[in-house]
Order: sequence, then C-alpha cells, then structure tokens
Amino acid sequence: MRNIILGPLLRLVPVGLVALSIQRVVFGAHPIYGVKLQFVLALVVAAGAGGGADRGAVAGFVLGLLYDASGNTPLGLMALSYGLAGMTAGYVHSFTPDPQWWLASIFAFFGAAVGEIAIPLAEVITGQSGWITSDVRITIPLVAGFAALACPPLMPVGRWMMGVKRKKWKAMLE
Amino acid sequence: MFSGLSRRRVLLLVVLTCVLLITLDKRGNAVIDRARSLFARVVQPIDTATQALMLPIERVWDGIVNFDDVQSENEALRDQLEHMRGNDVEARSAVLQYRELLKISQLTSKFQFDTVKAQVVGESPSNFQNTVEINVGGRQGVAVGMPVTDGAGLIGRITKVFADRSIVLLVTDPGYSIAAQVLSSSDSPGTGTTTPTESTLLNGQPVSDLTSSTTSTTTTTTTQPLPPELQPIDTTTTVVPLVPGVTTSTAVAVPTSTTLPPVVRETGTLQGQGADQPMLLRFVDTTSAVTSVKVGAVVDTAGGTSSNAPQGIPIGIITHIERQTGSSSALVEVTPNANLKSLNFVAVVLYVSNQDAIGK
Repeated sequence: MRNIILGPLLRLVPVGLVALSIQRVVFGAHPIYGVKLQFVLALVVAAGAGGGADRGAVAGFVLGLLYDASGNTPLGLMALSYGLAGMTAGYVHSFTPDPQWWLASIFAFFGAAVGEIAIPLAEVITGQSGWITSDVRITIPLVAGFAALACPPLMPVGRWMMGVKRKKWKAMLE
Repeated sequence: MFSGLSRRRVLLLVVLTCVLLITLDKRGNAVIDRARSLFARVVQPIDTATQALMLPIERVWDGIVNFDDVQSENEALRDQLEHMRGNDVEARSAVLQYRELLKISQLTSKFQFDTVKAQVVGESPSNFQNTVEINVGGRQGVAVGMPVTDGAGLIGRITKVFADRSIVLLVTDPGYSIAAQVLSSSDSPGTGTTTPTESTLLNGQPVSDLTSSTTSTTTTTTTQPLPPELQPIDTTTTVVPLVPGVTTSTAVAVPTSTTLPPVVRETGTLQGQGADQPMLLRFVDTTSAVTSVKVGAVVDTAGGTSSNAPQGIPIGIITHIERQTGSSSALVEVTPNANLKSLNFVAVVLYVSNQDAIGK
C-alpha cells in the first residue's frame, strides 16, 4: 500500500505542477470557441491509458487534488472527477495489455468525457452550483477530442510518472 | 504496484477520500486553507516560468490564429485615427479663428465706434481690382466709405454695399487713398513704435501671441502742447492665454519725464500702388520725408473731417525712403501691417466722416 501511493507520488507532483501551470497559463487563457481545453485531464487519461485503471485513478486523484488546491473548487471535487477519468481510460488494459496508440486514444476520449461530465455532476451533488450550466454539448466533445489527440504523445510521460515500463515482447525460443 | 488492492478497492478508496476532503473543505478547515495558500506560493514561480517559456509560442500561435482579426482591427483603428486627426484640425482651426476674432476686438476696442464683425467670403475675380467681399452689408449697418480692419490694422474701405454683402477696396489698390500720419522721434528711427510685424498693434503692442507676454512702450513728451491722442502714455498691456477667468489689463500712467526727445507728427496722403506693391505716402510738408521721418516709423490714419477713418488706426510702417534728386521731396513707401493675401475675419468700423454726417 505504501508503494502504491509514495512510489509514483515523487514523480506525479512535479509533473502535475508543470501540467497545472501549462493549463493555467496557456490553455486557461486561450479558450477555443469559448471552451478551455484541459491539459491536466489529458495527462490523467494518458496515464490511465498507459498504466491501467488503478494507476489512472491514482494519477487522476493526485492531479485533481493539485487542481483543486490551485482553484476555487472544493478540495476533492476535481480529484474525484479526474480519478474517474483516469480509471475509465485505464480500462483499455482490460482488452489488451499493450494497447495501440489509436485504441488508447479512443479510451482517452471516453475517459476525458467521463471526467469532464463528472465535474458539473459533482458540483450539483455537493451543492457547489445548480444543474449543468455550461453548454456541455460543445465542451465535452472538444475537451475529450483534445485529450484523444494529446494522448499518444503524453502516454510516455504518463507511464514515466506512474513508474510503468512499456512491455517488451520477445519471441519464445523453441 | 497495485497488486495488493483490487480495482474496486482503489476506486472506493479514491471516492471516499474525495468525499471526505470535499466535506472537510465545505465546512471550512483551517488546515486545508493553509495548504491552499502554501500551494499558491509554490505554484506562482512555476506559473511565471511557464509564462516566460510559453510567451514566444503564444505569440506565434496568436500570429497564426488572430492575424486576420488584428489586421481588420488595425484598419478600423487607422480609420478612427484619421477621423480623430480631422477633428483635431477642425478644433485647431476653431481656436485660430477665435484668436483672429479676438485680435480684431482688441484692435477696435480703443475706438469709440461700434464695429461689425465680418468674414471674407470672396475675392475679386479681376486681376486689376484689389477688392474682397465680406458677408455683412446694409442690414448690419454697413455703409459706403467705412473703414475695414483686421487684427493687424487697416485693410481698406467699403466701396459697395448690398443687403448682406459688401465690397471692400483694399489699401493697396491704386484707387485707394487716405489721410495718414507718421509719428516719429527726432533722434532715432522707430522710437515709440513697436517692431512691425503682421500681427501687431494693440496700441502699438503685439497681440499675435496669446501665450503670456508682457510688453511696454513709452512714448515721449514734447515741449509743445499735443492733442489728447498724442499725450505721452506709459502703457503696459498683458495678454494672457485664452483660458476662462483671465483678463486683459491696460494701465495708463501719467508721464513725468520731460527729458525724452520730442515726437514729431507728420501728415500726408497714403495711396495704394497695386497688389504686392508698397503704398506711397505723400506728405503735406514735402521736406518732412527728408528731415524727420525715418524708416521703421509707424503710419496710421490721421482722421479729420474729410477722412473716411478715425484717427489712430494702424496702417503700416515705412520701409523705404528714396530721396529724389533736384527736389526737396522724397518717395516714402509704406508696407501694410495686414496680410492682405490671407484675410479671413475683419471688422467694419461703423464710422461716418463728419462731412458725410453733415451732408445727411
């Protein structure tokens, strides 16, 4: 249990801080069609797609906590949403132990969509805001699409920060 | 790494932790608040570094994405700037016109006669007539023969009057003549006068600049009694900028000096010689030009019962005196103060000569 949390934490936090900073400075300041693309969420689903559901959940939880700490959301709200996103993306490992980039992107898309839709839902549940206010029909596809596009290049980073090595297959000697 | 925990347990652990944290934070927790402020301090330098690194990329991105918008905005702003320039020029023009009107008011204020302000609306189409058309006429009380001035001095007289228009014969026209006087000191030329410029002459004081300026002129006393208008004066005129609340003050002091050289007054007839030509002054006493009158002396209207203008309206300065061989007289050329080529606002002095008044 100790290794589960402390092992990747040493890498997750510094990478998460940089990702959060990029999110705040770049993507937060330059919305596209009024939608702020979520770089941290893309990193979370990339970590999930690269390392599996459980690692994705932990990555989402930690990076979500950092997100909460730097914003106005209650501590744990984004952690919950991103945790769900990372876990959803990580389900790709249920189908194949070493997914192709396009398959990882598809799962990253769904994972990001789950994570993004979970935020207003969690806000409703916790009484943070009313029902879904933003136009999710535009927000979710854009955020999920960006995460799907960013997943292949971010997967190595996600694996590294979660301490996962890519599997190398060798042919069996007869 | 997660071999000891099932996937469901991890999920449960994450969810429960999150709910716990949300609950604590919503209820207000000092530890969480302190952790947030500490985190903000940690993130701030990272944000600054990221900003510095991302700035060139952002600029390139902005250049690609926003180029058309910036270009169209630039054009719109240029158009707006042109409009602003136009407004600026219009405002400056209004200020200049106001100054011009003010000069006219100051020039004519010393007379006891009413004036009618007018604007030059046209010039003579002929090459041989030095006239201008002004936008006041009989309805405003203008009559034939009345003198017309601008901020610098006499420019001519009314020769034709319509209901709302009048024709002004300029002083440079060969058909124009008027009784003039020259005041000069016997010791040096130009004593008691100001340096002649186009924009002089509020009692001989420059009034061209509306910036704060102070000038003073002292004329002299004589051993003989002088008419009231030639009484020595010590005048200080202060013209201050055109801002609300400022005043123009004129202080007249009684002279006490008796040691100053005497002022000599010579009279004659001033006649125009055509556009771009100086006017010609012929003295009543033909020896005056040789003896007492010097270059630089001020020429103004002499007044009198037969004159069409009251006494004291500045006309110009003597710029050249040419002695004629075999004669006691000399040709005295006078350059008008007013710039007759660029007249705009003028004032018609509602002065009727005594002869005309008696005739009526």
